Amino acid sequence: MAAVKINELHKNDLPWIIEYDESKCIQCGKCVAACSFNAIKPEVETRKSNSITSKNKPEKVLVIKQNISLENYCHGCGMCANVCPNGAIRAIRNKDDKYSVAYRANKADSFKKGGRSNLNTEGRTLDKIKIGRISQMTDPSLDATRHTFELKTPFGRVLSPEKLNLESREGKLFETKTLPPNRWIYPVIFGDMSIGAVSWRMWEAMAIATAYLNEVMGIPIRMCTGEGGIPTRLLKSRYVKYMILQIASGHFGWNRIIKSMPEMTEDPAGILIKIGQGAKPGDGGLLLASKVARYVQEIRGVPKADLLSPPTHQGLYSIEESVQKMFLSMNAAFKFKVPVAIKVAASATSVSVYNNLLRDPYNIVGGFFIDGLAAGTGAAHEISLNHTGHPITSKLRDCYLAAVHQGRQGEIPLFAGGGLGQTGSFAADAFKLICLGANGVFTGRMLMEIAGCVGSDTGKCNACNTGLCPAGIATQDSCLAKRLDVDKVAQNLVNYILATDIELKKLMAPVGCSTLPIGRSDALITVDKHISNRLDIQYSC
Amino acid sequence: MIKIKALNNNNRMSTQELLQTIYDRIEEGETEFEIEACGQHDIGGAIWSKVDKPLSFRIKNPGQRVGAMGMDGVKIVVEGSAPADIGWLNSGAQIVVKGDAGDTAAHCAAGGKIYVSGRVGTRSGALMKHDPKFEPPQFWVLKNTGSFSFEFMGGGIAVICGYGCDESESVLGNRSCVGMVGGTVYVRGNVSGLASCVQQVKLDKFDKDFLKSGMVEFLKEIEKPELEGELLEFSNWTKIIPLPKEQKEQKLPVAEFKKTEWFEGGLFGDLVEDNGEVFKLAQTGEARLRKPVWNPEKCIGCDLCFNNCPNRAITKEDLKYVCADNKCIGCGICAAVCPRNAWDMINA
Repeated sequence: MAAVKINELHKNDLPWIIEYDESKCIQCGKCVAACSFNAIKPEVETRKSNSITSKNKPEKVLVIKQNISLENYCHGCGMCANVCPNGAIRAIRNKDDKYSVAYRANKADSFKKGGRSNLNTEGRTLDKIKIGRISQMTDPSLDATRHTFELKTPFGRVLSPEKLNLESREGKLFETKTLPPNRWIYPVIFGDMSIGAVSWRMWEAMAIATAYLNEVMGIPIRMCTGEGGIPTRLLKSRYVKYMILQIASGHFGWNRIIKSMPEMTEDPAGILIKIGQGAKPGDGGLLLASKVARYVQEIRGVPKADLLSPPTHQGLYSIEESVQKMFLSMNAAFKFKVPVAIKVAASATSVSVYNNLLRDPYNIVGGFFIDGLAAGTGAAHEISLNHTGHPITSKLRDCYLAAVHQGRQGEIPLFAGGGLGQTGSFAADAFKLICLGANGVFTGRMLMEIAGCVGSDTGKCNACNTGLCPAGIATQDSCLAKRLDVDKVAQNLVNYILATDIELKKLMAPVGCSTLPIGRSDALITVDKHISNRLDIQYSC
Repeated sequence: MIKIKALNNNNRMSTQELLQTIYDRIEEGETEFEIEACGQHDIGGAIWSKVDKPLSFRIKNPGQRVGAMGMDGVKIVVEGSAPADIGWLNSGAQIVVKGDAGDTAAHCAAGGKIYVSGRVGTRSGALMKHDPKFEPPQFWVLKNTGSFSFEFMGGGIAVICGYGCDESESVLGNRSCVGMVGGTVYVRGNVSGLASCVQQVKLDKFDKDFLKSGMVEFLKEIEKPELEGELLEFSNWTKIIPLPKEQKEQKLPVAEFKKTEWFEGGLFGDLVEDNGEVFKLAQTGEARLRKPVWNPEKCIGCDLCFNNCPNRAITKEDLKYVCADNKCIGCGICAAVCPRNAWDMINA
């Protein structure tokens, strides 16, 4: 219906405008049938007949129109254009979009969205850094495709030599006390997306890809479960050894994990205590009721309702306490045999946290994950997504250098994430962060994109919070989730990691490293003087 | 026969002086040289006889690259060991080292024969090649090689006899044969850390015949004929050849892995109803996002829905309209064209 009063919502207020070419349309109805947002509809238009006769009745014409509504509006996902046999319909970005104003003005509520911030797309630090130290005659260069490389990184507490509790007797080394658990893993971790935030099909595809990469390709990649629990089947299988179990402030899913313990035949790969996430630091997880499907309710032990994880773990009031209580409990949970790491959002205070952890008197802190502001999320208040957070690059560097200044780099492995691959080069981003001091990286965004996410950094779709994901990734709606082809997604995830593996080697080879160049910041240069000063890397021009 | 001493009363000939002396003698028709070298490079390389008689060199204490770019009709014997790069780019010479040879022995050799009576260093045999117009290069080593041996090997034959190396974890060192695309490496003894692009297989009759005849000549040249019996005990021999290209690219499809290794009925099989069907964007039946419901009180029987349904999903039976779920995609055209709102679209 067209607006008749000035204060009614108008098509031009919406973020996307449907461009429809009636002359090409065959009225097959597929665009409407495909639209998960219910943003378009067939409608009968009444038009004046052009023929001049004594009885010229108005003409009735069937057309496709856009819904003008705060609830059912076009998110620009493009499914209508994908499904139209004749290219008769598409969504065009509205530069004069007033939607978020209209939403707040009408709902008296904060605007929520999914995906990622749409404000931080230009001038990325990582893009201003190049791998500039190419070994040619200074040290042996390697052949990326043919030489053997070892892309493995330690995950777990690393002790300095004097603390190793090793004793030499008759030329052999013996452990005098149990050493903290440490695993050599691939430097890319499938980031923590919960069962609930993503569909069961998406989650299964990630799990299959993880198992396949380990067992068929020999790539020891790990997947973090997210805080939505884990299917009992998986817990009791051999594949659990590739899974990093997450515990976040909501503690969702742990009942089934604990109940499964006696029947588990393998230890999990690790535990990740999630304190915060880069996309919305200071906020806990948010799973809107529309995505709390029956099986999600079961695994999590909650009814169908908006699930808000508290902004912090409720029993922890200081860093020291978190070490004593949370790290200790999670280490104890698996008999001190499984590395326990912690994930925080990058923040102006991250270094203090890292410094505190570095003291780790009990040798139980197995890793520090820092998540930058360009990270994605299933659902957040737009205000948090767009205006809170801290870039990952300098924060990772600060933490690494803080350890270097104490001579303790590597003792608590650093993992960085948040917006990796944003400008198309995931492997390059990963490599640069590793050179700046990361032991490895984690990503959720890339997995979504590989799976067919249609969202963009400039506002396309980003509707993960609605539960109406048109790609079947971030939804629990049976019709939508079943759009996702598990086999295809799992294969594509595997392929992407194999491609990443080749690309990481293509960067390691010219630097002359056959093992990961962790902290090799001498390999990097930047053409930006400020970045050079801030990150302490070579300035070049 | 001419003898050259490259070190006289603390005066050492430079490499250039020594080589130019050799060139001059060859021009004069000399063919036999005995050289007491002092680390001079490239002795015996890129030279050929000017008369109808092969060139021969007997060298002590040479520098690097003995016999580099060695040519047909040249025979070089090094008394004792030789440093790096013997037979570099060898094109036809026979080079015998009575002791050990240094790194990158036989590097890029594409012809001739190189016999080493001891061990050879790292990256030996790298980039060996075989030009099919000529005999393949042969590279025989009595003991073992350093790591990265036979890197990027493209052709030719290497024989690593592993003599006295029974305790060794790998007589080819670590990471051998990386990027190897052609040629054959015969090896006696343990091998580990081999690149993934090659395969280690048993010898066939051709291989055994080759080794039998070649071994006799090799042992004669290094003056250890007594080892023949021990070294020709074939149970300890294997050969390494590149994997065929198809085999390298063969990867198990993930879907196959899922079928054979993954959970029956899927990871969520006990939690979610899902038979694995992949829905299209606009599909009939339970894949529909929305479906129409007919409201008889409002209907005036005008047939507009019946006539406009793009999938002919609506049928009329006894003045009632019925929508067939297996034809309807839930587009809502029936509801849009109805003048009385007799069709409601509800979420499926």
